[in-house]
Amino acid sequence: MPVPDEITRSGEHDVQILWRDGHESIYPARDLRLRCPCAGCVDEWTGKRILRGDDIPEEIAPESLELVGRYGLRIFWQGGHSDGIYTFKLLRDLCPCSRCQSGSEEGS
Amino acid sequence: MSEVNKETILEALKGVIDPDLGRDIVSLGFVKDVKVCGGAVGLTIELTTPACPAKDQLKKEAEQALLSLPEIDQVNIEMTAQVRASSREASGILADVKNLVPVASGKGGVGKSTVAANLAVALQQSGARVGLMDADVYGPTIPTLMGVSGEPQAAANQQIIPMTQYGIKIMSMGFFLPEEKAVIWRGPMLDKMVGQFLGGVAWGELDYLIIDLPPGTGDIQLSLCQKVSLTGAVVVSTPQDVALNVAQKAIAMFRQLNTPVLGIVENMSYYLCSHCGGRDEIFGSGGAQEVSRRMQLPFLGEIPLSTSIRTHSDQGRPVVLAEPESDQAKAFIRIAENLAAQVSIQNMSGEVQQDIKVSF
Repeated sequence: MPVPDEITRSGEHDVQILWRDGHESIYPARDLRLRCPCAGCVDEWTGKRILRGDDIPEEIAPESLELVGRYGLRIFWQGGHSDGIYTFKLLRDLCPCSRCQSGSEEGS
Repeated sequence: MSEVNKETILEALKGVIDPDLGRDIVSLGFVKDVKVCGGAVGLTIELTTPACPAKDQLKKEAEQALLSLPEIDQVNIEMTAQVRASSREASGILADVKNLVPVASGKGGVGKSTVAANLAVALQQSGARVGLMDADVYGPTIPTLMGVSGEPQAAANQQIIPMTQYGIKIMSMGFFLPEEKAVIWRGPMLDKMVGQFLGGVAWGELDYLIIDLPPGTGDIQLSLCQKVSLTGAVVVSTPQDVALNVAQKAIAMFRQLNTPVLGIVENMSYYLCSHCGGRDEIFGSGGAQEVSRRMQLPFLGEIPLSTSIRTHSDQGRPVVLAEPESDQAKAFIRIAENLAAQVSIQNMSGEVQQDIKVSF
């Protein structure tokens, strides 16, 4: 499992992760909110996204972050949503850098 | 004859290797308080656990290494221990508890609670500060196994004061429920109970908190893995195929939640006849060892199926205390030592989960 060394703020409200293997990921806040894996945002049986882009304001930002055990991150979003646990694996898969994105396309 | 200097002493001790950590005791920082007076040397070796299986061996090797120096004719070594803490990045709760070790199984009835109770006692007997948390709300057996009852009191700060028995701090749902009542809870209540038992109990300073889990991979296991950063789990299984297959699921769960598995214990490995002392492998043999090899996990040891373990458990005095010289007790003690060694390896290794820094 990929493990972060440091989770910090990037710019005004984006999330930055420095991974133990040296990789660096920067997640635009709104993109991360739209990928919330909680049962309210994704149908647990079909895996289909219930959350619609229109529901999320353009300027959404995390208020705070909290580690979950050894394996994930909980994000407390403005407006009160905090149900999703972003596992480190999910976060690494979501890394928007061009290298990860091209890699994951080849893989799938 | 000139007096030997400290550097020469440390140089000589560099030949003494801790077999579990694979490094010499000097570079590990174990050698303390070196004092020289003429040909006499006194020093302290501070290990990472009082339950170190190599304790006597290390002491002997260090003595021999020093006595081989011509300037030295008398050596006095004191063995102590300072248990290292695993990282506790998830939250501030249980900051004074150095290591959280859940005892898990896939199947029920494999003797998980008996193993947890005896491991706790064996670690305590070695000199460690130990707590035992019974997280099995459905069938809390720790009060019976440890021979303790009564209702825990609340401290001034509203925390619950754990019961103490045989020098071990104990918390169990069994203290709060009459025996004929059952806990019929859905997930959110179980989650709350786990939170209470972790953060709402005045555990104080502990080297090891052993957590007896219910069988399986359910709400309680998940809550525990979410609320705290566990040092690593012990998985108990019988040698039987079905039990082992399910044990692998427990291991898979911990791996998915990035919680290390410190090793596998095989319980009911063989039947030790109380009349003739003969050995009968009722559930087959070597199965757990095979699984640990396949899954690349340490095999912590095997425990026989024996009447004396059962009777002492029923009487509320674990066999490690009741018959410390018996083979059964020695099996538990060896497993506790191996477990303590694995905890040290986990906490001292480069792969140890260092704190994940979160600043937002």
